Amino acid sequence: MVEGERGQMQAQQGYTFFELMAVAGARELKDGEVVGVGIGLPVVASFLAKRTHAPNLTILFELGVVDPEPIHTGVGLADPRVWYRAKIMSSFVDALGTVLHRGVMDVGFLGGLEIDMYGNLNTTLLGDPNGAFRHFVGSGGANDLASSARRTIIIIRHEARKLKQAVSFITSPGYLRGAGQREAAGLAGGPSRVITDKAIFDFEPESKRMRLLSIHPGTTLEEVLAEMSFQPILPDHVPFTEPPTPEEVRLIREEIDPEGIYSGR
Amino acid sequence: MSSKLATLAEAVASIPDGAHVALSGFAITRCNMAFARELIRQGKRGLTISQCVGAMDADLLAGAGVIRRIIYGGGSLDRFGRLNCVNRGIEEGTLAAEEYSSLSVAFRYLAGALGIPFIPIRSLRGSDILERLHKTAPQDIAFVDDPFSGEKWLVLKPLHPDVAVVQVQVADEEGNAWIFGPRWDNEEQVRASARTIVITERLVSTEMIRRNPELTRIPGFRVSHVVHLPFSAHPTSVYQAYDYDADYIREYAQMTQTREGVQAYLDKYVYGVKDHWEYLERVGGLERLSKLIADPVLGY
Repeated sequence: MVEGERGQMQAQQGYTFFELMAVAGARELKDGEVVGVGIGLPVVASFLAKRTHAPNLTILFELGVVDPEPIHTGVGLADPRVWYRAKIMSSFVDALGTVLHRGVMDVGFLGGLEIDMYGNLNTTLLGDPNGAFRHFVGSGGANDLASSARRTIIIIRHEARKLKQAVSFITSPGYLRGAGQREAAGLAGGPSRVITDKAIFDFEPESKRMRLLSIHPGTTLEEVLAEMSFQPILPDHVPFTEPPTPEEVRLIREEIDPEGIYSGR
Repeated sequence: MSSKLATLAEAVASIPDGAHVALSGFAITRCNMAFARELIRQGKRGLTISQCVGAMDADLLAGAGVIRRIIYGGGSLDRFGRLNCVNRGIEEGTLAAEEYSSLSVAFRYLAGALGIPFIPIRSLRGSDILERLHKTAPQDIAFVDDPFSGEKWLVLKPLHPDVAVVQVQVADEEGNAWIFGPRWDNEEQVRASARTIVITERLVSTEMIRRNPELTRIPGFRVSHVVHLPFSAHPTSVYQAYDYDADYIREYAQMTQTREGVQAYLDKYVYGVKDHWEYLERVGGLERLSKLIADPVLGY
């Protein structure tokens, strides 16, 4: 589908696919949980959860910022706009050490350049690590979250060049090469959901391979599979993703991301 | 204790070629920009830089060929773009990069600060970051058995930088310093390092420090030089002092996309000015800087 047609569909539905992704992310978070987030859609998802069903959520940024209430959109974690009204401003050792490494971070919220069928994420480089490649942001706290959070949720664009048979570089481990490998490496947790702009996936418990969980309204199974470089496990019945409510859309547009920087308006 | 007040030029001159310098910047905030510009002007060479998250200060130094090696946890200029100079150095093999996760670098500083021989960490395992470190830094990683449980753990070697350079909001002339806002790896960097250079926006009396000692994040007795230099992080931000200067970060991200652009940037903002004061005039002087001053409620 070309971008223009997608845009029309979004207008008919009353929400954008970015907003749908943020809402789907928010619904994965439970009240009372501690969630470590980077910048972008995970921030929108976390703030949305906190303003709806999870008022006791604790939102934590890796550099040591806990439960901020920004009123302006920031350019990233280094922007004091996203630290506004925080309850705690401390450090990496405090936030990622005494919370995440200590084992009390419920959710790590991650994005990436590429992901494979076992949920391994790449944010480091594209190309051949031993030959010609282009280097990007690297880990930051992403590898730490993927290694020690009780579970991780991944938000990524649904494109064949991003949903790969094999990633160029494993920055943040998912289930590595399948069953038992994460445990053997001494890692906690693991990815629980992958949210794209076309579908939501989980991981089949035995093989640890990505499994289609739901398809977003307005998208077909063919479209989902056409933009993937591997075949996910397909259950007999695949429901449509529950669309955002008008109130969720209003909260994102009017209060959480009024400038539309993360929600793609 | 006696005064450690120094000029920026004096503090930079105290750093020998080839030294390991820990920098306080994080992406585009509290970066040691004036310090980096002076290091370049003094023609320093062969430095090792470490920081939890690669920032604009390290990138400028990489672009100018001042650094030989970087120990970091990945990094960017946030939405302004990539660390073009660091990335180009890695892609072309001219910069030795030992790339970790942010917490790994923080733990290495923590181990250095505590004087312990190694530190176990759950991060990195199973990843290609660890695979690559086996090649780039085999001397700094190992696996050991937990003597209590028998479990196998990845352990990292401590970092002991020769000097930490930290951009702060408030300090006295002994180097006791307050850092407002999150401090990421700065407190561990200082305590792991042999000595610290403090670059402060505001200089206060020791009496002021004594009135609020619980705010002191950097102990003066670990500091060798105190440089009082307003707007020394420009164009990056300093929480509660001033906002980042988006136009100048955007210009940097644009110009550093090519080697020629980096040279033009250096000619314009580093070699083309004789010191920090002339730099501030070059970017618009007090008229522009006054617009960046932070709102005390917002902090930016």
